[in-house]
Amino acid sequence: MTISSDIDEKAPSRPATARNPLRAGLRLQRMPEPCTMVIIGATGDLTERKLAPALYNLMLGGTLPPEFTVVGFARRDLSADEFRAHLRSGIAKYSRNRPVKASIWESFSAGIEYQRGEFHDPIAWAALAKKLERIDRDRGTAGNRLFYLAVPPALHAEIVRQIDAAGLSGTGNGTDPRYRGWSRVIVEKPFGFDLASARKLNRELREVFDEDQIFRIDHYLGKETVQNLSVFRFGNGLFEPIWNRRYIDSVQITVAETVGIEGRGESYDETGALRDIVQNHVLQLMAVFAMEPPIEFKAADLRDEKVKVLRAVKPMSPTEVEASTIRGQYVSGWVEGEKVPAYREEPEVAASSESETYVALKLAIESWRWAGVPFYVRTGKALATRVTEIAVQFKRAPLALFSRAGAPPMEPNILAIRVQPDEGILLRFGAKVPGPGLQIRGVNMDFRYGSSFAVDSPDAYETLLLDCMIGDASLFTRNDEVERAWEILDPILDAWASGEGGRLHFYPAGSWGPAAADELVEHDGRAWRRP
Amino acid sequence: MATAVGRSTAARRALAVHRRLMRFGEAESTVAEPWVDRGTTVQAIAGHLAQLWTSPPSSGDSTVTEKGMAHARASVLNLIVMVADEEAASRVVETMVGLGVRHPSRAIVLSADPKAAGPTLNASITAHCNPGPEGAEPICFEVVVLSVHGDAADHLAGIVAPLLIHDLPTHIWWPGDPPFADPIFDQLVEIGDRVLVDTDEFSDLLHGLRRLTTLRRRSGVGDLAWHRLAWWQELTAEFFDAPRFRRYLPNLNRLTIRYAVPPAHKPRRARKPRGDLHAASDVASPLAGPMLYAGWIASRIEWRRYATTLPLKDGTLRLKLEGRHEMVDLQVEAVETDALPPGELIAVRLRAFGEMGAAEFIIERSTDEAVVASNADGMTALLRRMPMQLPSESELLAADLVMDQHDPVYEAAVRAAAVFLASARQVDLAG
Repeated sequence: MTISSDIDEKAPSRPATARNPLRAGLRLQRMPEPCTMVIIGATGDLTERKLAPALYNLMLGGTLPPEFTVVGFARRDLSADEFRAHLRSGIAKYSRNRPVKASIWESFSAGIEYQRGEFHDPIAWAALAKKLERIDRDRGTAGNRLFYLAVPPALHAEIVRQIDAAGLSGTGNGTDPRYRGWSRVIVEKPFGFDLASARKLNRELREVFDEDQIFRIDHYLGKETVQNLSVFRFGNGLFEPIWNRRYIDSVQITVAETVGIEGRGESYDETGALRDIVQNHVLQLMAVFAMEPPIEFKAADLRDEKVKVLRAVKPMSPTEVEASTIRGQYVSGWVEGEKVPAYREEPEVAASSESETYVALKLAIESWRWAGVPFYVRTGKALATRVTEIAVQFKRAPLALFSRAGAPPMEPNILAIRVQPDEGILLRFGAKVPGPGLQIRGVNMDFRYGSSFAVDSPDAYETLLLDCMIGDASLFTRNDEVERAWEILDPILDAWASGEGGRLHFYPAGSWGPAAADELVEHDGRAWRRP
Repeated sequence: MATAVGRSTAARRALAVHRRLMRFGEAESTVAEPWVDRGTTVQAIAGHLAQLWTSPPSSGDSTVTEKGMAHARASVLNLIVMVADEEAASRVVETMVGLGVRHPSRAIVLSADPKAAGPTLNASITAHCNPGPEGAEPICFEVVVLSVHGDAADHLAGIVAPLLIHDLPTHIWWPGDPPFADPIFDQLVEIGDRVLVDTDEFSDLLHGLRRLTTLRRRSGVGDLAWHRLAWWQELTAEFFDAPRFRRYLPNLNRLTIRYAVPPAHKPRRARKPRGDLHAASDVASPLAGPMLYAGWIASRIEWRRYATTLPLKDGTLRLKLEGRHEMVDLQVEAVETDALPPGELIAVRLRAFGEMGAAEFIIERSTDEAVVASNADGMTALLRRMPMQLPSESELLAADLVMDQHDPVYEAAVRAAAVFLASARQVDLAG
């Protein structure tokens, strides 16, 4: 009798896949298995700014197994040492922990390799496959591979086909237990250009990978505050009972950037703010904010609930687009003390470009919980402040006990969930000003991550890369979420393109967007926050 | 009258504590002029604390930011540190300044001596602001140093409690050998949510472990010796993350733990400093680490004490334990070495027997490297070498400050360790 059958007979209720009892209470609930991360398009900006610092910080925190290996794959002719230097300079510039610790870098860099190759060249992929096999042998990475597609989406289809052709897409295909590895792929936004292209991209990915191998990364979901949103709602008894149309008047979601398009002229001009920010970040924030409690806090349940929210957002008719959307574009102005040229004067932007750098939307979630609660959404470039937040405006007290003749009505209560910067949660309520008489002023109750916890928050990429290596897809976007988001946005894009959806409004850089956006909200008797 | 913390040992330990804390001292911080009051009252101290953040500091630099809010004042926890004397207290304050963003909101450094003459209550308060992470506002906190003399030293709770920030968890750090029998200890533990000790520093480990298991009340217990084991626990747990290895867990039949003790010809206390990994702290109980590790494994996979095979002698012991399917040999072996600080684990070997043969899971460590190997499934041993990345003592302390109040895994490990040690010692005593 083998050991395994012996155990199975004695303890049939405890299969070998039961939890590891030694993990309970340890800092890491699970350390990822040894694996190789292949960064495709490794010489780009993303690797330097985000991936290298994230991996270094995971290494520094002891959350990566020592066998962990990175292979850069790109067209540029680099030696492994030059690639290591590229990563090191990224860490030195962008890591949240600086300076680079020599001992950590030494063990990290020992597992960094580079493979030059054209993405369409099967020979290059064969060389990569060979390299990965050698790494499995030498470093004990057991055939576990994570492919990070840090390339424009136009290349995705070709690359996944090549991954497949090189025999690298399979999961658990070997009989030798040392080579029963997994294969996963991380895809960056944009997930398509519209519904049709998103479906095509999903189809192309699914021809090679199963849905559970595909990790669509939206780094907003990796932010602590966004994860905390679920804890805030479902871990406290106080808030969920009032998280509905009976108590909430309206919700505002703001993703404001002070930067312009930073040399992305050509690609941004084709994209615009709606595709760039609303399709992914804003709708994901809204879904997490508005979803029903999941049955369990697990990937499938969470994503089921999120997609239900998106399904409840009804696509707009052309008339509704005109009434409920505002698109804007910045003209020259001053941002943070510096003069910013008009969008149309940016390099590689057409002088008559109609692309929106600003969007304001009024969305409705037609569910039992949210019917009648408007969700005002705005995002833009070259705005007055850099801030991402979700602000809940509560209904006013039913009786204005304290209002005085001539005085403005009391401010409604606001709960603002700040995603960046200064991550935290703020509750605004009225308080009596000390002294005779009854004067009331709004005051803030302010929770800030930075000053409330004695630990640094990990960067979103750290959280997401680690989750992917562990195989937890909770914070990644599923194909049906992506497609539903496009179903919501396609009618808006169509109406704008056909001229039925209202004209493009201009706003000076450094302002809070076009005046028309203010009217969109004021029309309902409300006003945008100035976060 | 109760005796306060023994002066000489305590002072020595305070110095060791200070050395460890110094490793925090990297962050810059601005410090307001300290407020010092000898022969003061609790009311006066509380009054000063209350207006600390409402008046601009003496430099004239307004603490009010453009958004109309005072500098962010951290709302993390109250930390009470028990030190031996005023001198030790002032050293701790110096190091508190350098805690960076990992700091308590209010630290109360307390020295108490019921036998001393002089004013009943001396206090000094310093306010500190550390620059936050890039672009963020500075984060501010305050350190209160209290020395209490005479009869009042037997009633510390009444002095400290009014000075705590309300509705925040209160951690009490008692370095060295906590005076479990002293009413002062009970008083402070009673007002705290979590008490932090270091079982490595207990002079009587068995007595200390037993006291920890009976610390009922509200208080959770943290232990720096336990945090030192985190690295070993992590590597051990990692073996069994793989489902194909997890099935060996119920069939383990031997656990061997080897740990460092100083060579016999050297005097017991004259030990090599712990190098970069640890400051020159005294390890009064080198058995603490190995026993907690054994207690951890045993409590996680339900091993119970069965018999003593080899009573404790020269730091070595053997017990027979009853596992789920097998009898288990627990072997704790002292290894004389100068290369590692006393109490540090040197090797852990877990063995399981099955009809496919033996499976073995091994972690072995030299001074700066560890080798992790498994030999199971009839497969060639998988070897891995990794550099040692032990945290500094200051990191251990910081790790404890973010812990939940109670740690049931630790509490179970302490109970098991106490049972095992008692079993090994009782036979020893009887023999």
